[in-house]
Amino acid sequence: MSRLARHGWCLATALVVPWLVLAAPGPLKLAGIPPAWSVLWLLPWALADGPLSGALAGAGLGLLLDALHAGSITQIPALALLGWWWGRMGRQGPAIERSFSLGLLALLGAALLGGSLILQSLLLGPWPLEPALHTWLAQTLLTALLAPLLCSLQLLLWRQQIQGGRG
Amino acid sequence: MQAGRRLRLPALGAVVQAWPWALLVLALLAVRLSKGAGFTDVYALLSRPFWPGSAQGEWVRSGQALNDQTRLRQLDADNRRLRSLLELQGRGGRELTAAVISRQAGGWWQQLVIGRGELQGLRPGMAVTAPGGLIGRIASVTPTTASVTLLTDPGSRVGVWVGRVRRHGLLTGIGTSRPLLRFLEKDPGVRPGDVVVTSPASTLVPPNLTVGVIQSVDERAVPASEAVVQLSAPVEAIDWVQVRLP
Repeated sequence: MSRLARHGWCLATALVVPWLVLAAPGPLKLAGIPPAWSVLWLLPWALADGPLSGALAGAGLGLLLDALHAGSITQIPALALLGWWWGRMGRQGPAIERSFSLGLLALLGAALLGGSLILQSLLLGPWPLEPALHTWLAQTLLTALLAPLLCSLQLLLWRQQIQGGRG
Repeated sequence: MQAGRRLRLPALGAVVQAWPWALLVLALLAVRLSKGAGFTDVYALLSRPFWPGSAQGEWVRSGQALNDQTRLRQLDADNRRLRSLLELQGRGGRELTAAVISRQAGGWWQQLVIGRGELQGLRPGMAVTAPGGLIGRIASVTPTTASVTLLTDPGSRVGVWVGRVRRHGLLTGIGTSRPLLRFLEKDPGVRPGDVVVTSPASTLVPPNLTVGVIQSVDERAVPASEAVVQLSAPVEAIDWVQVRLP
């Protein structure tokens, strides 16, 4: 059972992700491309709360985000897989806290998410690859740049909540 | 000798004294050859205070505008009648203005969310226009919002028409700000600067809506020519759009 989800407000913070996708704040774009907000929320959640919670949070977030977009390509498999992977990393070995590590994990996550969208688009039919690669590269870089700041703060908050719940 | 001198001297004097008349003749010849240029110019200068006033110019212009409007109404009525005979879709009578509340013109999906929805009569498939022309179609609706797939989205396909050469094509979004126009013929004869409008035979969007201008043409594309189209409506800048109701 997810320890973070017991606090209703912790789970409610996931709603910030679709709101940020819709608001698409201009200053936080690189060449017109926004960061992968879902990755920036899911990474600290999964690291703090484990693989099952991470996978479920990823799938739920994917459902929310798919509802906002037209077309048949989906973010659910990539986000669920990332949640599970990051949850396992959080449980095994030393705790991941360093900014560089968070940035690297976010980079890999955004790259995997973008790659899954490109792959699905290519499977569904002919798709222009050049603009897709531009989007993929810009989103991956921007997500990795924002992750050390945003994910560190969230990770700190989630760990405090979990330790507070134990105490 | 004396008689000869007497005869020659008066003739030379007369010629010398008649030089103003010679100049006059030359001036008349110049006027004749120039089709009266000097005279009409002087006449125009002198008669300028008596020319028709600005009020008369306004009358002429307003008469011309009235004539144009009448002609436009007649052509519109003719167009509607002929379209109904051919059972083609009309341009639609009403437009609903809606605010853009979310803009995702870059990234994996190219779409807008507008602040009107099912409660205001919006339905998927309706055409959405902005100052400048068509920008996309409604993909989905909620009770109070609607999601608009832009013409630049990779999933967007709209039939268009290049009026100058009377050629149809399929406008396909490729994820950049300039969609691709794929023609059905190998050599459609289009060139940069040609205006692209929605197809008069389209059943998906209202006919004859301005879409954009051809920016470049690739005649070597396979299997048929392709052109890059610069959209006439600035999607990045607009805050209000119009939805065409049936």
